[in-house]
Amino acid sequence: MARSLAQTAEPSEALARALRAIGESLGWRLGTLWEPVPDRPEALTCVETWHAFGVPAEEFETASRAISLASGEGLPGRVWASGQPAWIPDVLADENFPRAPAARRAGLHAAFCFPIRSARGVLGVIEFYTGEARRPDLGLLRTVTAIGDQIGQAVERRRDSEALSAKEARHRAMLDAALDCVVTMDHEGCVVDFNPAAERTFGHTASDAVGRDMAELIIPRELRESHRRGLARYLATEKEVILDRRLEITGLRADGTTFPVELTITRIDVPGPPTFTGYLRDITDRKAAEAELRASRARIVEAADEARRRLERDLHDGAQQRLVELALDLRMAQTRLDDDPARARELLDAALDDLQEATRELRELARGIHPAALTEGGLRPALEALAARSSIPARLVAVPDARFAAPVEAAAYFSVAEGLTNAARHAAAENVEVEVVHVDSRLCVEVRDDGRGGAETSAGSGLRGLADRVAALDGQIDIVSPTSGGTVLRVEIPCGS
Amino acid sequence: MPVAVLIVDDNARFRVRARRSLEADGYTVVAEAADGASALAAARLHRPSVVLLDIGLPDMSGLSVAERLAREPDAPAVVLTSTHDAADFGDRVTSCGARGFVPKSALSGDAIAALLA
Repeated sequence: MARSLAQTAEPSEALARALRAIGESLGWRLGTLWEPVPDRPEALTCVETWHAFGVPAEEFETASRAISLASGEGLPGRVWASGQPAWIPDVLADENFPRAPAARRAGLHAAFCFPIRSARGVLGVIEFYTGEARRPDLGLLRTVTAIGDQIGQAVERRRDSEALSAKEARHRAMLDAALDCVVTMDHEGCVVDFNPAAERTFGHTASDAVGRDMAELIIPRELRESHRRGLARYLATEKEVILDRRLEITGLRADGTTFPVELTITRIDVPGPPTFTGYLRDITDRKAAEAELRASRARIVEAADEARRRLERDLHDGAQQRLVELALDLRMAQTRLDDDPARARELLDAALDDLQEATRELRELARGIHPAALTEGGLRPALEALAARSSIPARLVAVPDARFAAPVEAAAYFSVAEGLTNAARHAAAENVEVEVVHVDSRLCVEVRDDGRGGAETSAGSGLRGLADRVAALDGQIDIVSPTSGGTVLRVEIPCGS
Repeated sequence: MPVAVLIVDDNARFRVRARRSLEADGYTVVAEAADGASALAAARLHRPSVVLLDIGLPDMSGLSVAERLAREPDAPAVVLTSTHDAADFGDRVTSCGARGFVPKSALSGDAIAALLA
């Protein structure tokens, strides 16, 4: 009786029904159920009452619900403390019965109380009252105590099962919400679980995936054999080679495409044959970003090497040649000094011209490497000089007077230099404007020309080198160059406030 | 009899000054060439006694020209020159058959004569 009651209903409803069932079958007048107060486990409170039809129980029931009893206090307290049933022949004659006045007015005399027990201890107590004094009935006490044990165990099982369901519901919610794919596989290699992220990533629904051989499903053909061998070897030797480590492998989507995957496998600890859970992450984006980072680093190093080679060539073809010519002119002047002073003077004049040329070329070379104006005076003087040397008319619309970190100034300067070069050389423009403003914590550089459009960032190592330099500073570069004409080179460089 | 010289260098301004310097020292400049191919042709045509040969030519290394000249019958004396150091070119400077090396900034008739002696 108690078992069926506890299984069909909520524990509290089941206990209420148990009260009535016991009371009616015994023919007693009134029953109460006591449980510990939720946040004060040492105090008992009356949570449920029942009375037989016609019994004037209202006052007694109210009194019962109103009080809380300490361990050992009153009939419920006594049974709570001892964990054993108790019988009071006449509550009106009992010294430890706080509700005696209400009991008298309700016409209640004999009472018994039994514990509801489970493996965890006493969950509560149940009292029953009847209208006349009675001697203790040990057989009845034994019976109701057995019922109390059954009820206790049933309630405990019910609570455990609810806690387990709640825990499972939480785990399911975690798997459903996870960004990573979670795929569980049994020892035969069949999919046991396939979370929503796995459905999205691999393109199979969970209902399609569960029960299928996992290797056939999400592992590329050429890797299946080694997966199966690995699993077989693990099952045979229990030697962990790949568990609990981050592996990079290839995954197979439902549409046949493959992609790089980061995978960790753990074994689930349950009795019996092993179950494995794999946590998978699509790392296509990360791999692409790593490759681009390596490529851009290589480009930057190559650009530096190329700049050095160019420098060596420029020095050799330019300044060194000039100095050679200077040496030969001076030597000639030397030999002519005595017998042809006029000729010697001409040669010395030529030597001075060579020297001017050499100095001019060295100065130009130095400016190309890193202009002194930029280091000494910042963007304004350096950009003014660039605009002045531009082969097409260049207007400097705006440039901040403030100084910025050296790499930022260099990036801004070379952006303008590149923009001016492209305007003259590729766009064949007639006019070009340069505007540099400091907005929020970014330095924004724009070079606008009115020439041929159609420029692209990919075209030309100059623009690509500039793009790498800007990216290294976490900046952005954009070119708007419609084929209808006009090009705007726009560079934004983070520079702090 | 004046010594016949072929000047080989791709830099016209240097050729002007080299000619001036060598003629002032009594050499006769019979021809000029600006690259390896025309240098070999001019050597065959004008049969100079001395070839002043810049190592850095646009179509081939002057060292290769020197090696080829060394194989001709009646080979001229080759004097190598460059704005770079001789050391920058390694062993081939000595093994290519040239008489020696004069840095461009030190070029004079005397420097060449010293190598031919």
